Amino acid sequence: MINHMGRFLLFLLGLWVMGAGAATPEKVLHLELSAAETGFDPVMTSDLNTASIEQQLFESLLTYDYLARPVKLIPRLAAAMPSVTDQGRTWVFTLKHGVYFSPDPIFKGQKREVTAQDVAYTLMRFMDPKNRSPYKFLVEGKIIGLDELGEAARSSGHFDYDARIPGLEVLDRYTLKIRLKTTDYNFAHAMAQPMYGIVAREVIEGYAGDTASHPVGTGPYYLARWTRSSLMVLARNPNFRHEVWNFDPGNDPDNQRIAAQMRGKLIPQIDRVEIQVIEESQSAWLSFGKGELDMIGLAGQFAPMALRGAHLKASLAQRGIRLDRISDPSIAYYFINQQDPVLGGMSKEKIALRRAIFMAQNDEEMIRVIHKGQAVRNAYPIPAGVAGADPSYRSLLDYNPGEANLLLDRMGYARAADGYRRQPDGSPLAVRYTSSLSSQDRELDEMMKKALDRLSIRFESEKLKFPEILKAERQCRVQIRLSAWIADYPDGDNFMQLWYGPHTHENNGSCYQDPVWDRLYEKTLTMPDSPERDAIYHQLARMLELNGVTKVSTTHIRNVLSHPWVIGFKAHPILPSVWSLLDIDVSRVPQP
Amino acid sequence: MSARASETSPGLWTLAWRRLQQDRVGMTALIVVGCYLVVVLLALMGWVAPDWTREVGVNYAPPVFWADDQDETAQPSQAGQALSGPVPLYGLQDPLATELAAIRAQHPGAQEATEVPRRLSLPLGGDKWGHDVLTKVIKGSETSILVGLVAAILATLLGTVMGAVAGYFGRWVDDAFNWLYGVFTAIPYLLLVFAIAAVLQQKGVVTLVLILGLTGWTGVFRLVRAEYLKHKSREYVLAAGAMGASHMRRMFVHILPNTSHVILVQLSQNVVGFIKSEVILSFLGFGVPVDVVSWGSMLNEAQNELILGKWWQLAAAGVAMAILVTAFSMLTDALRDALDPKLKY
Repeated sequence: MINHMGRFLLFLLGLWVMGAGAATPEKVLHLELSAAETGFDPVMTSDLNTASIEQQLFESLLTYDYLARPVKLIPRLAAAMPSVTDQGRTWVFTLKHGVYFSPDPIFKGQKREVTAQDVAYTLMRFMDPKNRSPYKFLVEGKIIGLDELGEAARSSGHFDYDARIPGLEVLDRYTLKIRLKTTDYNFAHAMAQPMYGIVAREVIEGYAGDTASHPVGTGPYYLARWTRSSLMVLARNPNFRHEVWNFDPGNDPDNQRIAAQMRGKLIPQIDRVEIQVIEESQSAWLSFGKGELDMIGLAGQFAPMALRGAHLKASLAQRGIRLDRISDPSIAYYFINQQDPVLGGMSKEKIALRRAIFMAQNDEEMIRVIHKGQAVRNAYPIPAGVAGADPSYRSLLDYNPGEANLLLDRMGYARAADGYRRQPDGSPLAVRYTSSLSSQDRELDEMMKKALDRLSIRFESEKLKFPEILKAERQCRVQIRLSAWIADYPDGDNFMQLWYGPHTHENNGSCYQDPVWDRLYEKTLTMPDSPERDAIYHQLARMLELNGVTKVSTTHIRNVLSHPWVIGFKAHPILPSVWSLLDIDVSRVPQP
Repeated sequence: MSARASETSPGLWTLAWRRLQQDRVGMTALIVVGCYLVVVLLALMGWVAPDWTREVGVNYAPPVFWADDQDETAQPSQAGQALSGPVPLYGLQDPLATELAAIRAQHPGAQEATEVPRRLSLPLGGDKWGHDVLTKVIKGSETSILVGLVAAILATLLGTVMGAVAGYFGRWVDDAFNWLYGVFTAIPYLLLVFAIAAVLQQKGVVTLVLILGLTGWTGVFRLVRAEYLKHKSREYVLAAGAMGASHMRRMFVHILPNTSHVILVQLSQNVVGFIKSEVILSFLGFGVPVDVVSWGSMLNEAQNELILGKWWQLAAAGVAMAILVTAFSMLTDALRDALDPKLKY
């Protein structure tokens, strides 16, 4: 009798388990990346696509409030905002207790807690010469003793991670004191970057040489599957701490709607995030239309299909699709490699040639034809919404092919019998434009070809995959390119550093090294956002134009479309991804 | 005294031409292909479509017969944007100040905008820049047909020589060529083409010709080898050998004319195949560079236009290609019938 009863209870229990399983189907978010990722070691990352994934895998000390505008820093791994003393030169961070790395064989089955020593180790990695970190500029020249460690490693070939330096003092298991050489108004922003996500030393050393394939962080997700340049699957980190969605919506009605949907829910709500690399925007658009992608960043060329002016078309709105539209804190800018044997150099002839090439670029046509109105003309290196921006700034390099041609004529770039110009010494002149293989970049190739045709300069095209373009850029092998930069933090310094001489082989794709410019820029590093700093920024921007280094072209308008089953989304100007803060209403997801 | 025959019997080519003339479909196809070739020649000489890059219409100018359906975004391109007033230099010195001052003194209107008049509609419509689609189709035919023809000639030449050598000499020579043939045919054709295109990384008509020519010889090789295996032991070849003809003479003077019908048909088929391959390669971004137009590059551009409702570039390039490919295929059929020596009448 007892046996029968036991079997019956087991049967009921089985039914309950099956029922419970059926009642909570897995929540999966399907997304796309428009360019391939470059690998998941944060210290080596510089592109937005990779950073958007690392934002979910790793955690920095600080982050940005999801709903607050203008953006506001809040603690992430830190238990509270740091205590700052000594006129902004001493920062003490205290970590949350009980924060664990995602499981990995390196930890031999043990749960591994994050400590202050991990934070010190993570910061040290940025100055290790072998990492060639594109984001070392956020700590370089700032932390007492750290640059010296980097210098010693450069000469010895070995970075001493066990060295104790005055700038990084581990006070106890959870407390780190950072001492800066001078006041740095952006240091807190630096500590909120996904590239500064905390890593464990034993993981980095255990996977030495292949750290980009073994991301082990404390974020809400871990990398469960990775097919390079194709598919990334993020799964819920089983070691993630108990954290509740609790952002202040303020008085904004849209924020209040989101807060009403999300407040009190555990982070993350979504079990799995599947990210496909879809380089062709048409394929992404069609996948979104069929519901295969839950969200999409709308490419400009499809804006006429989805938008009427700044609003969603009625046909999409009726399907419950939502539009989040913000002006990105970003710039698209042409740069010319200053070390290139054909275009580089500071002679008058070379400067004139570069300026003529920039003056032949028709930005208005690019906005209208390629971006379909989803960009605005912006000539200043600092975009709107970022401290130091100047929307009224006027460029010296506005579209003016007539004057550009006269300038070339005057400087001795004569046209030969074939109709193309030669260099002043009579040698052939051709300009090599680097871009990716996507169809949108083919349109940009056509733009550049048209611009060079206006000047009778021969056009050459170099097609590379996106990660290879970044590599070539760091090696100063790109001749001219249209690049883009989006704010890591809302301060003009994040943009001006793109032309700082010592950042050559990191973020300074133009490989511009001008001591006068560098000295002026260094002055701004110790200045707060102020009219005095703005005055120097204006000089820096104008010098870039006068010397023919760069031409800032446009600022992009971000349109994110999401299906009605995606809950809680609001486009954030700085955070590269917010997937762990969203939810999915599985009852509304169409069944295949 | 016997009378000498006053008439000689018609040769292979005369008979083939007679048979082709009686084939109405074949002749129609020949005329269509001929028209295309004339257009290519005229374009090559610069008599038609000399400047396809000229922007003559507004963006996405519709075809004249569709002109009512104007798009709201179709606006003339601006030819220039004038600067207004001096731009502040923030206390800096312009390294080109002297030169620019001289230019502005000599050419006071250099900074003024000039508006270029644009047409609101074009015969077959315009693309996103306002290029005339009709001009692009004509110029594109030059690239596509030239690539198809030259690559087909290269592939046929390679296949014929290798097939002749392999079939005639046999033994280890045949084994070696068959191994090479096996390697090339073991890889799916388009995958092989894409792999070579990706490795070369050099865009251009010559690259396309090389890619298609170097990968497309296998079909010709297989058929020519079989023909040579068949012919090498025939009486006329043995007689030529007995009369002291060298191997080369036997291969290319005696046997080759008797396999010409196979080779010509293969050449014709390859032209059709390679025109399609060029289109596919250019559509996928491996084909011609941005300063060259082909039907494939037009279809590549049109993939995004179609979703915006701008169908005319796709239609123009697609129809032009479909007519040529159909006509060439029909001509190939007709040639095969006309050249078949068994069909003598």
